[in-house]
Amino acid sequence: MRGNTLLKLVSLLVLAGLLLAACAPDPTADNPYEEIDYSEGLSVAAASCDYGGKIASIEATDRLTVVFNLCKPDPAFLAKAAFTPFGIQPREYLDYAAASKLILEAPVGTGPYQVTEWERGDHVTFTAFADYWGAAPAAQTAVLRWAAEGSARLVELQAGTADMITNVSPADIATVQGDPNLQLLFNVNPNVFYVGFTNTFAPFDNADVRRAIAMGLDRQRIVDNYYPAGSEVASHFTPCSIPNGCAGDSWYETDLEAANAMLDAAGFPRNDEGVRFTTSIYYRDVFRGYLPEPGLVAVEISNQLRENLGIEAEVVVMESGEFIAQGTQGLLDGIHLLGWGADYPHVTNFLDFHFGSGNPQFGTAHPEIYEALEAAAVLADVAAAEPHYVTANNAIRDLVPMIPIAHGASADAALASVTGAYVPPFGATQFAFLDPGKDTLVFVQNAEPISLYCADETDGESLRPCQQSVETLLEYGQTSGDTSGELATACTGNADSTVWTCTLRDGVTFHDGSSFDANDVVASWAAGIDAASPNHIGNTGTFDYFAYLWDGLINAPTE
Amino acid sequence: MTTPAAETLPAISQAAPSNSLLRLTMRRLFRQRNAIIGATILAFLILVAIFAPALAPYDPTLSLLDIEPVTIRQEPCIHLFGCPEDQAQHIMGLDGNARDQFSRVIFGTRISLFIGFSTVGLAIIIGTLLGAVAGYAGGWLDNVIMRLMDVLLAFPSFLLAIAIITVLGRGLQNALYAIAIVNIPHFARLIRASVLSIKEQEFVAATRALGASPVWILMKRILPNALPPLIVQATLSIAGAILEAAALSFLGLGAQEPASEWGTMLGRERGQVFTAPYLVFYPGFAIMLTVLAFNLLGDGLRDAMDPRLSQVSKR
Repeated sequence: MRGNTLLKLVSLLVLAGLLLAACAPDPTADNPYEEIDYSEGLSVAAASCDYGGKIASIEATDRLTVVFNLCKPDPAFLAKAAFTPFGIQPREYLDYAAASKLILEAPVGTGPYQVTEWERGDHVTFTAFADYWGAAPAAQTAVLRWAAEGSARLVELQAGTADMITNVSPADIATVQGDPNLQLLFNVNPNVFYVGFTNTFAPFDNADVRRAIAMGLDRQRIVDNYYPAGSEVASHFTPCSIPNGCAGDSWYETDLEAANAMLDAAGFPRNDEGVRFTTSIYYRDVFRGYLPEPGLVAVEISNQLRENLGIEAEVVVMESGEFIAQGTQGLLDGIHLLGWGADYPHVTNFLDFHFGSGNPQFGTAHPEIYEALEAAAVLADVAAAEPHYVTANNAIRDLVPMIPIAHGASADAALASVTGAYVPPFGATQFAFLDPGKDTLVFVQNAEPISLYCADETDGESLRPCQQSVETLLEYGQTSGDTSGELATACTGNADSTVWTCTLRDGVTFHDGSSFDANDVVASWAAGIDAASPNHIGNTGTFDYFAYLWDGLINAPTE
Repeated sequence: MTTPAAETLPAISQAAPSNSLLRLTMRRLFRQRNAIIGATILAFLILVAIFAPALAPYDPTLSLLDIEPVTIRQEPCIHLFGCPEDQAQHIMGLDGNARDQFSRVIFGTRISLFIGFSTVGLAIIIGTLLGAVAGYAGGWLDNVIMRLMDVLLAFPSFLLAIAIITVLGRGLQNALYAIAIVNIPHFARLIRASVLSIKEQEFVAATRALGASPVWILMKRILPNALPPLIVQATLSIAGAILEAAALSFLGLGAQEPASEWGTMLGRERGQVFTAPYLVFYPGFAIMLTVLAFNLLGDGLRDAMDPRLSQVSKR
């Protein structure tokens, strides 16, 4: 009797499982949603500009025209609009797939490749999109895989099981250069590695302590020994390749005598063992172009603090997500090692994010810095903005919320047989431009994507696959940060950069067969920027880039 | 019940292991080649650990970047093998922070032996206490203690250690506690079994009849007779503890920088297997050598303390 009941229960469970599997949405099947033809333009708008953000409204004024009205001027609008998180997906698909989170695994874009399979833990497969509006990709299939260890990625390349890999370890660069079967591709993405302080914790609430450490670190020694050729000591937080990045005075030179005198005067004399105070150095053990050897650099900085200044610093490695969460919220009570790679080619991408009034990463924000940045951010003219950036950079140098250490060079590598291999300064390598000389291209990156809905992702490992299948209004060049039309043929601003009108490309088809129009643009942006949108769900729901690049979300709930 | 006067007990105390048993065990032990090799390696490692400051040419935490013309991960330089005389000798090369690898491996001996002895020591103390109480008291106390031990044994020991560290936090000290905790059940079960067997023997009954207290009987009569299997288990467990500590440090959960712990050294340079193999070879070899020494010695002790195995080996 009991056996029969159990059998029935198991049978029921199996049946329920089969039914659920049958009912699960299959993105490769015929669309389970209906295409909505353009009849009336959609719009999304803030109730007023009092919410503090930049976006006042986004309107589809006709089938192929979208108008962005801003609350305040944004001369970097074009550079931001080309960024992968602002990719366009069909409005019908957003309505269908956002709530179920199907969109996280099966994006529907207009790009040269469409996602056909994501085998978790192993690979993502892309297939060339037959109806792509641009040039067809050389390889019919592209496979994205990942390996955390640089040596493992290189072995894949050397063995010919990968056509291109990201982030060659500094120690392997000479190996790649000496191998005639491989090509080394330097990455010129502007970046900065810095040593951050949180000024709400003692002793880093004392500007003299921060200044002394700035003068006590031998940054040249770090760059010479732990960075590949082509890296440089940072003279400013922002790399000089960005206009106005290097406005103002250069960073402090190493001066141990002055640094030690400053610590003495600040009330931190050495004890009998030569130690002034103890602290912690927090970091995450993740390879980045701005910090290729995080563990080694953490130990090196700890050594320098002890030997040069008498500061005992314990090295603490943290899990990446926890480190970012705590670091960016200003919760780390010691020194933290972090960096930044440019998302778009504008100085605001570096300075406004880190030193803006709302960023708690370095503790209490300094008005001497953010007021100058706010004054500069509304000026489209580089020369007119320069005096403000001089003020801001000099204030950063004086107040030392962090110490800029290096602008790191890094490199990807490809088989010599791959033609068209490149690494753009902004965004990711487009698989469609690579010709492996065979049907399938295999690309190996550092880690698995978190999700494929990049409106709500920030890590490069997720943005890379997104960029292959979901296109944005504009795109960056292969060798520069200059933008050109992608889904828009052009976007033009008014005189004070507060109204941007984008004319869309006609005849574009999404991977699901639906036609691209202005309402898709409004719906895609609304899902990210409007916290009240029913499609504002995403992966974590934070939509960081929408919030940060546009100074906040429309209809964000009050805390 | 009163504790018997000390003068009434000497005759019975002969039941405890005597010097002759120790001598016999040592004689048997040193008849085995493997045990001699293990003991010799261990003696060598202990000497290295004691005299590490004298043997190591450099401070193991000192970066040589501004002291000598060196580069990070510099290859080994041995003058005897043709390395230029004007270049400083680093027989195991330099690590990723330009620290002398030889000095770090030498100081690593201290840490590894300390890990082995301290974790097993702690596990023995607690495990013996629990096992002895469970075995001697019996009843519900035995049930409670041994079921608790069964629960601990139900988890894979390494995963349990990781779980404990997750709660306590990273670091060598917490790793030591974690390894000690996962080793406790082995010693508790061993001691309980010995106690159950020994407490029924006549010399224990005689001591009890003389009015000795349970604690006295446990400490003076039963535990000394339970020592042989404990020593064997302890020796083998030290090898396991060193391996577990190295594995935890390799994963970044145990010893932290700048400690010269072999597992940490392996973990930090694991990506250099192809470009700087000497950075993973020497710490790995040191771990292997230490574990081998304890295993050989443990096997030898087991054979020496088990007359049946000695008989078999003689045939």
